[in-house]
Amino acid sequence: MGAHAKYSKRLGIFAFMLVAIVAALGFRLVDFQVVRAEEIQERSLERREVTRTLTALRGNIVDANGQVLAKTVFRYDINAAPKNVGPVRTNVNGVVVERSVAEIALELAPLVGLEFDELVRRLDGDSEYVSLAKLVDADTYNKIRDLQVPWIFWDRFADRLYPNGAVAGNLLGFVGRDGTPLAGLERQYNTCLAGVDGQETYERGAEGVRIPTSNITTQPIENGGTLNLSIDANLQFFAQQVLADSVDSLNAEWASAIVIEVETGRILAAAEAPTVDPNNPAGVSADDRGSRIFQFSFEPGSIMKSITTGIVLDTGTANEYDTVQAPDRMALGFNNEFIKDSFDHEEFTLTLAGVLRYSSNTGTANFAKDIDRKVRENYLRKFGFGEPTTLRFEGESGGILRPSSQWDKRTDINTLFGQGLAVTPIQMAYAYQALANDGVRLDPILVDSCVSEDGTVFYKPNQGSTRVLSPDAARVNLEAMEKVVEFGGVGKTAAIPGYRVAGKTGTAEISENGAYTDRFAISFFGVAPVDDPKFVVGVTIYKPEGVRNSARATPPFKAIMQQALKHYRVPPSTTKSRDIPSNRFGKVDEND
Amino acid sequence: MLSAQDARKLKPSMVSALVLVLGLVGVLALQLMLNMIVTQDAYHLRSLEAQKRDLATEVQIIQEEVASLGSPQNLADAANQLGMVANPSSVLLDIENNRVFGEPTPADGDRSIVASANLVANSALGSTSRFITASLSDAELIAGVSSESAEVAGVTLQSGLIPASPTR
Repeated sequence: MGAHAKYSKRLGIFAFMLVAIVAALGFRLVDFQVVRAEEIQERSLERREVTRTLTALRGNIVDANGQVLAKTVFRYDINAAPKNVGPVRTNVNGVVVERSVAEIALELAPLVGLEFDELVRRLDGDSEYVSLAKLVDADTYNKIRDLQVPWIFWDRFADRLYPNGAVAGNLLGFVGRDGTPLAGLERQYNTCLAGVDGQETYERGAEGVRIPTSNITTQPIENGGTLNLSIDANLQFFAQQVLADSVDSLNAEWASAIVIEVETGRILAAAEAPTVDPNNPAGVSADDRGSRIFQFSFEPGSIMKSITTGIVLDTGTANEYDTVQAPDRMALGFNNEFIKDSFDHEEFTLTLAGVLRYSSNTGTANFAKDIDRKVRENYLRKFGFGEPTTLRFEGESGGILRPSSQWDKRTDINTLFGQGLAVTPIQMAYAYQALANDGVRLDPILVDSCVSEDGTVFYKPNQGSTRVLSPDAARVNLEAMEKVVEFGGVGKTAAIPGYRVAGKTGTAEISENGAYTDRFAISFFGVAPVDDPKFVVGVTIYKPEGVRNSARATPPFKAIMQQALKHYRVPPSTTKSRDIPSNRFGKVDEND
Repeated sequence: MLSAQDARKLKPSMVSALVLVLGLVGVLALQLMLNMIVTQDAYHLRSLEAQKRDLATEVQIIQEEVASLGSPQNLADAANQLGMVANPSSVLLDIENNRVFGEPTPADGDRSIVASANLVANSALGSTSRFITASLSDAELIAGVSSESAEVAGVTLQSGLIPASPTR
C-alpha cells in the first residue's frame, strides 16, 4: 500500500502540475488567440506593413517631330552619417580590402564636387546627417554607389531636364525645385503633364523582402501625358540664333520672331531673345523669363497699314486703281494738329500699293478716314486685336484697343497707321495670317494635343476661324503688299530670290510716360510665297540702339523666312507679281 | 434495424480512408512546395527589380548623353568646328518634271547673317562633340586626300569623314 500510495501521490502531483501547465498555456493561448488577438495582429502588421507612394512621372513636352524639349529625369541628393564614418572593409574576390576614410574621401571629393579638406571637415563629427551634394546626375550617383560605402546614403528626386536648353524656353516655362510648375506651358498644361501618384501597401519580412501572399492594395499610378507642340525645334533654334545675333549687334532690348503655317494656323516657331534657359531660370533677369510674344503689347506702327488697306478694299471704299493725294504733312483740321510722313517729299498721288510702298501716313489716312470708326473697330476686333488669343497663354496680354466711341479725333486717325492702340506680337502675326489666308483668321495653335501613356487624348485644340476680309479683298491686298518688297525702300531688302514675298515694314516710336522717345520698335511682318501663301513671319526688334528705320528688321525676316521655305521644301514661285499701279512720283526714301 | 449486409456496406473501408489521408498529405505537400517556390520567387523578383532600377538608371544616363549630343546647340557647334557654313539659298530639283528651281549659289560664311556658332544658352549641355585633329589625320591617310584647314575653327576638315564623337 505504502509504495502504491507514494506513487499515486507523485502521480497526482505530476498530473496536477501537468494540468496546471496546460491550463496556464491554454490561458495564454486563449488570451493571445482570442482575447488580445486583434491588438497583437495589428502590432505585428504594423511592423511588417509598408505603404509606398509611387511617384507619377511628369510627362514629356515634345516638338512637332517628337524631339524632346522637356523630360523627367532622376537626380540624387548625396548625404552621409558622420557618426558612422570609418574605414570600410570590402571583400574583393575573396580578399578583404580595407580602405581608410582618407582614401574614400579622395575618391569621393571630385564626385560630390567638394574640396578634399572641405569633405573631410563635413564627414567629421557625430551627427547622423550631413549633406554632401545636391541634385547630382545618375552617372555620378552610379559612381558613388560603386564605392560601396555604408555611411553614404542618398535621396532620389524626379527633376525636370530641358535637353535643348533655351530652345523654346520662353514657351515651355519651368518648374520649381519641388516640381511645381511656375511658368509657361508647364504651368498651363499641368493637369495633363502632372499625372496621378499611385500607392501600394504590402507586408515585408525581416530582410525587407516582400511577403508574396501579403495583401497589396494599390492605387494605380498614372504617369503624366505627353504634350505635343506645333513648334519645330530646329526652326525655333534657327530663329533664336538669328534674333540673338540681332539683339547683340543692335544692342536692342529684345527681339521676337513668329513663324505661322498659313493654312493651318499652327505656330512653327515663336522665338525670342534674350530668353530663358528653363534648366536655369535664375540665369536671366525676371523680365526675360516669360514670353513677350504673348505678354508684351506695344504700339505697332506702320505694320498696321496693310491691315488698314485690307479694310479699305473690303469695305469697297477704294480699289487697287483708285488714288488719293499724299502730302508729306497734312493738317487734320482741329487744334492745329497735323500728321506727317517719315520723310519730306513733294505731294504724291498714290494708290493703295503706293501708300504701302512709301509707308505714307497721310495717304493711309486719306484712304481710310471716312470709313465709320465703328466699322473700323469691328474689323480690328475681327483681326484679333484688343483681346488675348484663344491660346490663353500664361499671363497673355490682350493689348489695348479702346471702344471706338472713346476715340478722340487724333486716335481716330492714328489707329489707321498703328498708333493709339497696342498689340502683342502674336496678335499681329495672326492678323497677317488672315491677310495671307484669303481673309480667314484661324485660331492659333501651339499645342497639337496632350496624349496619355496609353494613347488616350486628354486635350486637343478646338480650332475656330473668323472671316475678316473677303477672299478678293485679301488677295488684292496681298498683291499690294508685294509691292513693298518689290519696290519699297527698305522693303526690297526682304526680297528672297525665287519667291514672291509680301510684307510691311514698321518703325514705331515708343512712347514712355506719355511722350514719344527717340527709341523705336522696328518690325517686318511678311508672307511667302504670295502665289500660294505658306508662311507668315513676323519680326520685331525693340529699342535697337541708334536705329531709326526698319532696315535692320528685314535681314532677320529674310533669314527666317528663307529657312522656313527651305526647311519645308516649298518650291519657288512660278508666277510673276501682278502689275498694279502705285502712281509714284518722286524718290524712294530709305526710311520707312 | 440494419441487416448484417447493410452494416458491412457501411463499414468504413480501409482504402477510402487511406485515399483520404494520402490525399490530404499530398495537398499539404503540394501547398508547401508551391509556397516555397513563391517565396523563392519573391527574392528573385526583388533582385530583378533592383536590376531593373539599375538598368533604368543606365538608360537615363545614355538618353541624357544622346539628348545632349543631339541638341541643336551641340550640332551647331559641331558643324562650326568642321568648318561648315549654312547656305540660305536652296535649290530644289523636281524629278517628275525635270526642273531645277532656284540658282545654285555657294555658301559664304562672311555674308551669312546667321552665326554658325551657337548663341542659344543650354546649361543641360553635358556631352559635346569634339573633333580631334589626330584622329582626322589617320582618316586622311586612309582616304589619301590632302587636308583643307578651316580658318575659323582651326580644325582640319576631311573628305566627309566625320569621326565618332568622344563623350565625357
